[in-house]
Amino acid sequence: MSARAGSLWERRVGHVALVLLLGGCSWDTPMSTVAGRSDFARSILDVYAIITWATVVIALVVFGVLAWVLLRFRDRPGAAMPRQTHGHTALEIAWTIAPALVLLVIAIPTVQIIFRTQAASVSPDALQVTVRGWQWWWEFRYPGLDVVTANELYLPVGRTVTLRLEGPDVIHSFWVPQLGGKRDVIPGRVNHLSFTPATPGEYRGQCAEFCGASHANMRMKIVVVPPDAFDRWVASQRTPGLEPSGAAAEGKAIYARSACVGCHTIRGVSSGTIAPDLTHFGSRATFAAGLYPNTVDDVAAWILDPVAMKPAAKMPALGLTPAEARALATYLTGLK
Amino acid sequence: MATHEAALRATHTVTRPASVVWSWVTTVDHKRIGILYGATAFFFFLMGGIEALIIRLQLARPNASVVSAETFNALFTMHGTTMVFLAVMPFSAAFFNYMVPLMIGARDVAFPRLNALSYWIFLAGGLLLNASFLAGAPPDAGWFGYANLTSRQFSPSLSVDFWVLSLLVLGMSSVIAGVNFIVTILNMRAPGMTLMRMPLFVWMTLVVQFLVVLAFPPITVGLIFLMFDRFFGTHFYDVAAGGDLHLWQHLFWIFGHPEVYILILPAFGIVSEVLPTFARKPLFGAPVVIYSGVLIGFFGFGVWSHHMFAAGMGPVADTAFAIGTMLIAIPTGVKIFNWLATLWGGTIRPTTALHFAVGLIGTFTIGGLSGIMHASPPVDLQQTDTYFVVAHFHYVLIGGSLFGLFAGAYYWWPKMTGRLLDERLGRWQFWVVFVAFNVAFFPQHYLGAIGMPRRIYTYAPGMGWELWNLVSTVGAFALGLGVLLFAVNAWRSLRSGPQATADPWDGRTLEWRTSSPPPPHNFDAIPAVHGRDTFWREKHGRVSSARTAGATPAHADEHVHLPAPSYWPVLTAAGIGIAAAGALLHVSVVVLGALVAVAAVFAFALEHHRNPAHVHQDGNLETDHRKVGMWVFLGSECLFFGTLIATYLAYRGRSVVGPTPGEILDIPITSVSTFDLLMSSLLMVLALAAVQRGDRRQARWWLFGTAFFGLIFLGFQAYEFTSFVHEGLTLQTNLFGSTFFVLTGFHGGHVTVGVIWLLTLWTLDLRGRLGQGDAIKVEVAGLYWHFVDIVWIVIFTVLYLIP
Repeated sequence: MSARAGSLWERRVGHVALVLLLGGCSWDTPMSTVAGRSDFARSILDVYAIITWATVVIALVVFGVLAWVLLRFRDRPGAAMPRQTHGHTALEIAWTIAPALVLLVIAIPTVQIIFRTQAASVSPDALQVTVRGWQWWWEFRYPGLDVVTANELYLPVGRTVTLRLEGPDVIHSFWVPQLGGKRDVIPGRVNHLSFTPATPGEYRGQCAEFCGASHANMRMKIVVVPPDAFDRWVASQRTPGLEPSGAAAEGKAIYARSACVGCHTIRGVSSGTIAPDLTHFGSRATFAAGLYPNTVDDVAAWILDPVAMKPAAKMPALGLTPAEARALATYLTGLK
Repeated sequence: MATHEAALRATHTVTRPASVVWSWVTTVDHKRIGILYGATAFFFFLMGGIEALIIRLQLARPNASVVSAETFNALFTMHGTTMVFLAVMPFSAAFFNYMVPLMIGARDVAFPRLNALSYWIFLAGGLLLNASFLAGAPPDAGWFGYANLTSRQFSPSLSVDFWVLSLLVLGMSSVIAGVNFIVTILNMRAPGMTLMRMPLFVWMTLVVQFLVVLAFPPITVGLIFLMFDRFFGTHFYDVAAGGDLHLWQHLFWIFGHPEVYILILPAFGIVSEVLPTFARKPLFGAPVVIYSGVLIGFFGFGVWSHHMFAAGMGPVADTAFAIGTMLIAIPTGVKIFNWLATLWGGTIRPTTALHFAVGLIGTFTIGGLSGIMHASPPVDLQQTDTYFVVAHFHYVLIGGSLFGLFAGAYYWWPKMTGRLLDERLGRWQFWVVFVAFNVAFFPQHYLGAIGMPRRIYTYAPGMGWELWNLVSTVGAFALGLGVLLFAVNAWRSLRSGPQATADPWDGRTLEWRTSSPPPPHNFDAIPAVHGRDTFWREKHGRVSSARTAGATPAHADEHVHLPAPSYWPVLTAAGIGIAAAGALLHVSVVVLGALVAVAAVFAFALEHHRNPAHVHQDGNLETDHRKVGMWVFLGSECLFFGTLIATYLAYRGRSVVGPTPGEILDIPITSVSTFDLLMSSLLMVLALAAVQRGDRRQARWWLFGTAFFGLIFLGFQAYEFTSFVHEGLTLQTNLFGSTFFVLTGFHGGHVTVGVIWLLTLWTLDLRGRLGQGDAIKVEVAGLYWHFVDIVWIVIFTVLYLIP
């Protein structure tokens, strides 16, 4: 009875495990490292695949031998004392050389791809973007295009982009897994990262180096669009926003007389540099480094108490009334 | 023989102190210290485990709010720091302490009181670190504490102060223990125990202790820089002043990577003992397993930058460190294959210890192979700082280190306690731990592969991370249950477990040759060693009389000297702990702690000054323990000063404001002080020669002369420092000031210690207490003094002469 029950139970566990493995594991998720959508990410996957299969095969061999040894050489009653072998030189040389050969297979593509993905010279027609990692948001500046934005990076498909990574406060790490590997953003050092997005789409990224209280909340979105759409986006970012009216006009007045202006830039209104540029704030789908949808309600709540919505956020509560905060949020979300 | 034993017991009864607690506080018995390490480590291990479970609760669901962001960051920082420094390292230390002297056939370690000191300093450091919770400021910048997040500007609270001070204290404990065990293993082996006959666990201990004494100085220097930045306003990690944030990363990982081997090699040693015992076969290819362990330790120093592939070191450095890292896989693989070959053809007895050892082979293989994956920099750029890496090192540190330590616990428990653990419950525990561990950590590979970063306190839904985080949390709690099962098993065994015989497993090494638990003096007669697995050979009739020729027969009537208990170690450690805690309170507390420590060190040093047992302590190297110990310590010091000098060179010319070295340094005056210090070395030679030939009048003069020349050097340095300050160069002025004063200041500190040491010897001589038999004490002080002089020559050349 117990044997039957056991096998039935085992079969059920097996079913559950299989369902979990197949149903629970999707590889094409927003931040998957194995769904490459740039030349950089795909180069990495080439060597990633070789190493993965090599290591899986080695693991299976070791597990197989281990299982067989444990079953075959189990102590049985009356077993004789085993032969006291001390070693076997030829065997030991063999299993020193074997891993060396496997490593050679891994090392060659590794070195090739290191040099391919860290090319010293930057192609002259690459799009240049300066990335600044701040506690806890991302600043993107397009020096040639006179565009500054935050937390949402627009890139044209098929054109190489070179990111210049600058750290104004602590160390961060720029990482958008589907577009390639991460690179640290280090104060006092300038790092670069180059890749060519291959497919239009929205890609998720996140700071990958622990950078303080809200490290988990330092997210970003990369929007890869066709070249003409990119040009349109650049054009819209370069135009000054429309003059607000109604509640928004009131919000602008509140903005202009509050502490906001010390940190934020809205072209024509203020020129602070240590917080996100808000000139086209309303054109962004989310705010607070990808944490909240860019709605009047959420922006108003943020203005009233930033730290409640993002731990240790650097923006102070401004002491505005809920009505003032709402007017200000109306103004900001209207800056398309 | 029988009367001899009775005599030993009688001596022991007489020297036993009145109270049990006091006897543990003042113990210098390596076995008791081992138990203290083990019990303390288990306590901290539970703390670290509770921290882990809260972390897992918070991550079980997206956008959870079990703890705040700040608390979560403190929890993973404390979890990492605790598990590395307060759990796995001291668990290993428990076995080093208890087993190494037994396995090499010694009566104790080389320096029993220093051994106690290591433990008490470790305890002080562990308590200080955890006191941060009570102060409401637990460290929260990660166990790796990357600068500049740890600077006052970005971490203004006491949190990082607790972290930096307790790590400095813990490092002191590790280095002292490292020196002690290297001397013990090199110098105190039983007759016939050649290096190649040493059990694998002893070998791995030796490698680990070399790693400790060589790897801790760089992190110590890194921590000193951080402490100076935070407390005294230096600029080591100040980007605005020209500081380079790669500096901390290099210093941390030059320590941090060898640290990985410090954590795993003891487990490899344990497995290499457990497998042969329960397969009833010798370790397959033992010399190769030894060389592999040595190579792993050696390569371990050359691969630290594989932790920095994302930091932007450039393709050439990336390539070099990738190749180096892959090379380590070869000796590691060799070990796995040799273990499999050890089992092959054996008669395997499936004890709990064997279960854990075999479990290690399986899980460590996974951890090792995932390690090869991120040895490739392109792949690492996708894996570093994700849960893939979290999975990797938990496979190495739980599936490797902890499984190995559990194997050791089940294997040696009968020897340490005299009682057996319940094997049935033990096997249950193994299976709970094994399954739970894989449920908790295998899914983290997948989570990392689909992009879940490390060290995030929360995540949004919709990333595909929900299900497997929940599974991982369930596994973590089951793992906690598995650990509790061990506690239950241990408790039941201590209360009512069956008595263990001396040799319950049919063991192969010397610890099984004495009773369980062993008597205070370990062996009634020091056993002679006839080969690898010597005890097995004795039992199973493999000893031929010809083979014993190399070993001296042990004397049944030799004089057994057991070190007397001492309360100076615990007082010294208390002084150090008070001084460290004082840095967070008030400078007067620092002074108080320092006074206690210095006074206790003096009493410590003079406690056995006239004890004839301490006159000669020659061992296998035909050199006194103290001299071997000093050489090892100086090796460690080389790394310490090497790191300071390398930092000075790396920062040369990077100061953003003046004054520059060319404007400040006064070569003529410093040449005079350099010459003075060189001459002091000559006087030191004369002093030693005089003591050795028993010429007390000459000895007195030359000892005082050496100290006096040292004082003159310090006078020059004081003059130099004051004039620099007048010219506008202080610690805080620029990078030059920071690096110059810290480097020369630490050298001056070493000279000061040397002067005090020499004056102490001189005072002893004046009082007629420094005889010819004490020459070794002068010789050791002389070694130190010459070293400090040589370091100055290097500093003078690098700082003053090279423009």
